[in-house]
Amino acid sequence: MVDDITPDETLDCRGLSCPMPILKTKKAIGKMKSGQILEVLSSDPGTKNDLPAFAKKGGHEFLGLKEEQGFTRLYLKVK
Amino acid sequence: MNEEKQQSAPVQILSRGYEKVFFENWPMWLGGLLIGVMSIITFAWARPWGVAGGLRNWGDWFFATIGIYSHKPLSPWISTNSVLTLGLLWGAFSSALMSKQFALRPAPGLELLKGIIGGILMGTGAAMAGGCNVGGFYSAMSALSASGIAMMIGLIMGAYIGLRYLYWELEHFPPGAAGGGEKGEKSFDWLRVQPYIGALALLGAIVFAWAYSNMALTRVGVLLLCGVAFGIIIQRTRFCFVRGFRDPFMTGEGEVPRAIAISLIVSILGFAALKWTGLRGEQVYVPQAFWFGALVGGIIFGIGMVIAGGCGSGSVWRAGEGQIKLILAVIFFSLSTSLVKAGIKGSEALSKLMGHRVFLPDFLSYKWTLILLIALLLVYYLLATWNEDTDKFTVEI
Repeated sequence: MVDDITPDETLDCRGLSCPMPILKTKKAIGKMKSGQILEVLSSDPGTKNDLPAFAKKGGHEFLGLKEEQGFTRLYLKVK
Repeated sequence: MNEEKQQSAPVQILSRGYEKVFFENWPMWLGGLLIGVMSIITFAWARPWGVAGGLRNWGDWFFATIGIYSHKPLSPWISTNSVLTLGLLWGAFSSALMSKQFALRPAPGLELLKGIIGGILMGTGAAMAGGCNVGGFYSAMSALSASGIAMMIGLIMGAYIGLRYLYWELEHFPPGAAGGGEKGEKSFDWLRVQPYIGALALLGAIVFAWAYSNMALTRVGVLLLCGVAFGIIIQRTRFCFVRGFRDPFMTGEGEVPRAIAISLIVSILGFAALKWTGLRGEQVYVPQAFWFGALVGGIIFGIGMVIAGGCGSGSVWRAGEGQIKLILAVIFFSLSTSLVKAGIKGSEALSKLMGHRVFLPDFLSYKWTLILLIALLLVYYLLATWNEDTDKFTVEI
């Protein structure tokens, strides 16, 4: 379950709109090691579609998401 | 949950349909296909789809009201440009409510500034190209004009430049977070009532269309409903023309370019039928912008849409969803496009510079025009897909 995930890094993109959350994710992933987990916080409704697609394209594993009050937590395992 | 079991069959069918339309993700290609079909229906009823013209009408109206322009524009309630864009906003707003996605979303200061600057650039580019990504590119290409092709090239170049700027900004001014979207205690569950307000808003659009029809303005009423349909389709698919030009460079994804190609091929075939048979005028939506206005306007527009994070249609539907950055983009788009258009109209030299009307079948015949445009879109489709595997165009940070 998503609740059990302990992320290695957290990226706060709340308040940012498309494409900034994806760009910040792309940049953060470049600095992370294989197998590490990135948590992205986003209030842009588009991120829920865009991040899984981005992960799939890049070969990273999308682990799931969790809705919070006014934003979403999304989890990604780096390739 | 118990309540659901007690619901009668028709209610269950309706609520399943509601879930499907407003809560499940629509595939992007379906969005493209539906936009293509709506584009033809809109033209068959009255005129091609456009967005920037409506924003310009609102800007003209504002400047006339405060006394800067001496001539009043056509009333925003009658202008077909205005009514189409109003419908888009209306449809996106209703659809966001129906799917519980409406919220006033604040953004950090730099993002708001980017909304304003992006809006001004888009307004300027749209005035030069004779329309935004819709009127200057999508509908113009559907209308078999050469400037649609020129603007497409400009949009690709502009998207690349805009993306380079975003990369630079990320290095030098990493955006701060504005914090949670909604804060504070809730006195009552606002999300729960959203669908009811959304349904009322949709019903309101039908009542308006009815009223237009009773005033012998049936076409205006139908255009309002067409705009609403575009708004719902685009909000539900999150259809974004920016992504069609930006994604191949940014993430290498090709889903949106493919959807745009499919959409345009459908729309082009419909427009060709309406024009060839003489049901619609051949020069309709052939902008007087080939090639300078369309190409250079396309570049300026392309930079603006990437910085703002929304194109002509994209800014309007995101504004309808409550994103403050895009609301600012729409306001500054409408003001700048009104001013720049007035400037171009007022100067013979500038009007000449923008270019000519080039209706491709006048030079190539209908047959070869269709072959050329469809081949061009297939190349775009294939290149985007090839790039998905190879990342040849993708720019690393």
